[in-house]
Amino acid sequence: MSRHVMETDLALYAAGDLPVWRGAVVKFHVRGCAECRALVEALRVDRQELRRSADDMPASVDWDQLAAEMTANIRVGLAAGECVTPRERKIATVSWRPMAIAAGLVVLLAGAWWLNIPRTDTETIGRALRNIATRGRAGSPQEERGPVVGASSTGVELIENGGQIRIDQGGLEPVMFSVSTQGSASARYVDQDTGQVTITAAYVQ
Amino acid sequence: MFNKAHFNKINTAVVVASAISLHAQALNHKIDFPKDSPVSLLSEDFGNSNATARGANLIDVNAALSLRNSGQKRIRSMTLMVSTQDAAGKGSVSVPTLDAGPGETFSVHISTRLVRPLTAGNPVVEVTLDGVLFDDLSFYGPDLLHSQRNMIRWELEAQRDRKYFKTLLAAGGPEGLRKEMLSSLARQGDSSQRGVQMVRGRATNIDAEPESQFAFLDIPESPVEASNGRARIGASLAGAPRFEVRNRSNRPVRHLEIAWIVRDQQGREFLAASMPADMTLAPNQSGPVAQDAALRFDRPISIQSMSGFVSSVEFADGSQWIPSRGALDQTRLRQLVNPSPEEQRLSQIYNRKGLQALIEELKKF
Repeated sequence: MSRHVMETDLALYAAGDLPVWRGAVVKFHVRGCAECRALVEALRVDRQELRRSADDMPASVDWDQLAAEMTANIRVGLAAGECVTPRERKIATVSWRPMAIAAGLVVLLAGAWWLNIPRTDTETIGRALRNIATRGRAGSPQEERGPVVGASSTGVELIENGGQIRIDQGGLEPVMFSVSTQGSASARYVDQDTGQVTITAAYVQ
Repeated sequence: MFNKAHFNKINTAVVVASAISLHAQALNHKIDFPKDSPVSLLSEDFGNSNATARGANLIDVNAALSLRNSGQKRIRSMTLMVSTQDAAGKGSVSVPTLDAGPGETFSVHISTRLVRPLTAGNPVVEVTLDGVLFDDLSFYGPDLLHSQRNMIRWELEAQRDRKYFKTLLAAGGPEGLRKEMLSSLARQGDSSQRGVQMVRGRATNIDAEPESQFAFLDIPESPVEASNGRARIGASLAGAPRFEVRNRSNRPVRHLEIAWIVRDQQGREFLAASMPADMTLAPNQSGPVAQDAALRFDRPISIQSMSGFVSSVEFADGSQWIPSRGALDQTRLRQLVNPSPEEQRLSQIYNRKGLQALIEELKKF
């Protein structure tokens, strides 16, 4: 015989577990092959030894209880495994009501701020926060070191000690404006109809 | 639990808060002219003025005053001071191009916002007379804002410019005057200005900036010569200017002003500020001037260089020197120096009413 039967088939043949057709084929091979026949004999001897060992087990073993204990142990093992495995975060269900209350409060506070805090104070706080955020690198020379006068296309302005003067001459755009290092700012307006010139100015006290 | 009723309560609170905050009161005001004032009040309209409490007292003054020259001299200019107790500084409104004869009326419009800390009681805005300048350069008023100096300079500029335009008219006829008016209007349209803030006192970081030289344009006729100028330059700011001045006239000087010119990275020059200095300078005497102030521009600018020129000088007797038209016709100065209020008034008359109206206006003086 040039080709032997697979060892697993021989083992099933020795136990009488092969199907009829496959069992006949293996039986035919084993009769003509001394090597396979010896292996089948060895498997049959091992099987008989196993049966004898099984006969030596205590008679009082409750197989159902043993199965239940093993099942419990497996479950304990699985639970312990979950403890050391990263757990998935559960997304908390957010109620819309607290969110609506918070949004309402934000709107209320923002409205109260807008209505009650002068723009200059808001700008001052903004500059201070920017200064903190940039650790003073964004500081400008005029910030809170003294009175500030300014002139621009929107008119003249003086800010000093939290007070302010702004002169804009009714929203007209000045034809020119300037500041003085002695602490004043001025803007010049020309009446389009009469040509009359008006000069507004703000002075540090 | 939060429900529709709570929403309604919040809405009501917002509306009530708004109504309380925006409650604007009629403005209490006081117009105080001295009894011997050469200007009297004919009527006043503070219709749109009000005071609103929004964290501070926001006082909006929108007033139109009708005034009459109740004196015997022609009024050339007038300055009113606007103030309120506890507010920062003072404001002023000036009319520099008046020509109001005795008994004639004129009007002044005031549009000012004042902010002062919240205090008990309604704020009161005061409008007072700071000064009146007559055609003979005499002055009336308390001059709390030192407006006399400016008003005299405006009048000297007005006289200088009217004389210049009359000379042009006589020499070149109406066409010569027309060309000059067109040139003036073009310069006014071309003038590049930048918003600027100025802070007095020691600035936070100007001292760390490098110091640069400050060149001066020499005006040969100027009674004061400026030199050795230096100032610190940083990113979009310049400050701590200092320079030396010498009185090269034979009259003592008590005040002078330097125009401060800045050149940006594109080579454009513009007037950044004026630097007034109160000082006593005897003839041929020199002295240092140092200003503890910094300028900050409202748009980023890389300052390439600075220069200046003496723009006015006040002598000990109160008379003033201003550059002549000839000196201003130097190409560089002509582009930089602002036209006088009178030149702007006259060019506006030409622009709106035509050449003949301008000629008639010049004949009045």
